[in-house]
Amino acid sequence: MTWLVWRQHRAEGLILLVVLAVISVFLLITGLEMANSFQQLRLSNCLNLVSRDSPCQGRMQVFDNQYSFLLGGTTLLLPLPLLLGALVGAPLVAREVEQRTHLLIWTQSITRMRWLTVKLALLLGVVLLVSGALLALLYWWQSPSAQIHGSFISRIYDTSGPVWVASALLALALGIFAGALTRRTASAIFLTIALFVAIRVPVEVLWRPNFETPVTITWPIDQQEPPALSNQAWRFASGYIDAQGNRSSDLREGCTGEMTTTQCLQANGVQANYISYQPGDRFWTFQWIETGIYMGFSVLALFAAVWLVRRRLN
Amino acid sequence: MSNALETNKLSKRYGRTWALQDCTLNLPAGRVAALVGPNGAGKTTLLHLSVGLLEPTAGSVQVFGLSPTTQPGEALPRLGFVAQDTPLYKGFRVDELLTLGRKLNPGFDDALARARMHNLNIPLDRRAGKLSGGQQAQLALALALAKRPDLLLLDEPLASLDPLARREFLRQLLDAVTETGLTVLLSSHIIGDLERVCDYLIILSASHVQLAGDMQEIARTHKRLIGPRQDEAAIASVHTVIEASHTERQTTLLVRTNGPLFDPSWEAQEVSLEDIVLAYLSQQASERLQTPPSAREQNGIEVLK
Repeated sequence: MTWLVWRQHRAEGLILLVVLAVISVFLLITGLEMANSFQQLRLSNCLNLVSRDSPCQGRMQVFDNQYSFLLGGTTLLLPLPLLLGALVGAPLVAREVEQRTHLLIWTQSITRMRWLTVKLALLLGVVLLVSGALLALLYWWQSPSAQIHGSFISRIYDTSGPVWVASALLALALGIFAGALTRRTASAIFLTIALFVAIRVPVEVLWRPNFETPVTITWPIDQQEPPALSNQAWRFASGYIDAQGNRSSDLREGCTGEMTTTQCLQANGVQANYISYQPGDRFWTFQWIETGIYMGFSVLALFAAVWLVRRRLN
Repeated sequence: MSNALETNKLSKRYGRTWALQDCTLNLPAGRVAALVGPNGAGKTTLLHLSVGLLEPTAGSVQVFGLSPTTQPGEALPRLGFVAQDTPLYKGFRVDELLTLGRKLNPGFDDALARARMHNLNIPLDRRAGKLSGGQQAQLALALALAKRPDLLLLDEPLASLDPLARREFLRQLLDAVTETGLTVLLSSHIIGDLERVCDYLIILSASHVQLAGDMQEIARTHKRLIGPRQDEAAIASVHTVIEASHTERQTTLLVRTNGPLFDPSWEAQEVSLEDIVLAYLSQQASERLQTPPSAREQNGIEVLK
């Protein structure tokens, strides 16, 4: 059975391996360069300074300017799990049914359930290993940028923790489910993408900021500067609080030129400034919560796929 | 004698359509049976139910006393199956498909499969998709036979073959049967080629089994009666009229005899198997058979409605 899995998936495996090899080499070269710049710019001395006029700010800017293109490129990694789901997951059952080879393979001495479980176990195992290995590399690669900007930026968050692995497994599981459901590779690929986006985007946009209650700090309106916050903190809301405790990010009325900022805020009924954030030390908790969510969806998809293969096919 | 395949009121429904209904059937071990019926009669459904690819909607199916769906681990090694149009992994080389057979079947006879490929001049390093239709069918047959099954089920194995490949395929099949004594059930929408190969006949039409029994017995008990024009009621009280046609002066009946024929006004003729099959299939289209209850299960032939 292991032989069959290897024989059937070696082409996809080779494609993925080449893609990964190219990515790895690229990450190694650029990662070394970044680590080097990080050291030369003495950025490690800057990490606890938050004052805006610190000389660090300029050096961080240099680093960012130099590597922003590269760092932004991490976004290109996000469709990689989908590629896996579409290339390996979706055809797993669908292609067999399309080419009618399920009639051949399910009438050998090995039972259909054993065929499926061995396939699932091997493919999930390989994906776990490979995405884990890539994760180790990505984590190292992202670390200079993560130290400067915090790990909660989505391009860093999504690619430097177990969420990355879970997301690969989710795409694979959804692909297998979609293939078993539609029995057509093409429709299964579309369904895989749709399901993956439908799960990931809401989790990332709506759920992630609220995995734990955000910390809110307030400061008086006559104080211009907010209290110092660590680089690692994930700020996602800030604005004004009125007497009733309502939060808003905009002022109801504009300010005229004669007013000072404080007067203007008072005129708008603002009692205090506030900022909401997730402290940087919650990074791993958040990673594991989100990993749990994706694993939950993956397990559901796999159970559904097993049920479909067992009961519904034909 | 023990049965290789037993079905009891086996039924399969897709949505609202019954693909197979109340199919009760015993296939004795050691037989080479032809499963004949028009397209869409439920032949494929019956075969797929027998190898556990489908689950029955109602009724049961057993191979050597084992359920292919609830006991697949025990049943599958005893079954060989070649699906319609012999699906194979087209990208696999012939020897890779043999490896597949070896890896997935504990009792796989690799030497046998290789010998067959050699005898048929099928190169081991050729991709399955590059083989001719006949060669693909032979390869699929070799894979199924090398599994050393006790029951081999073939779904329309001849449909896509030219007459020469057909003959060769059947010859290979018969060789295997004589060597190992395995039971074979093969489906076809025509009886022609199967007459020489099979010794058991199952007629399936409109999702029902019309007739099942020993081929010779069927040939012996079915007669064409020709006589002066008359109503067939008298005959029908003793024998089973499958088909009746009348001209101005003459009546021709195809009957299954349930005993000796006494009426001298009828001239009895032998009927070819093909005509018997056709009679059953066209009879199904017109009306339901009126069989005297006592005539059921006579002569070792089961009539099922």
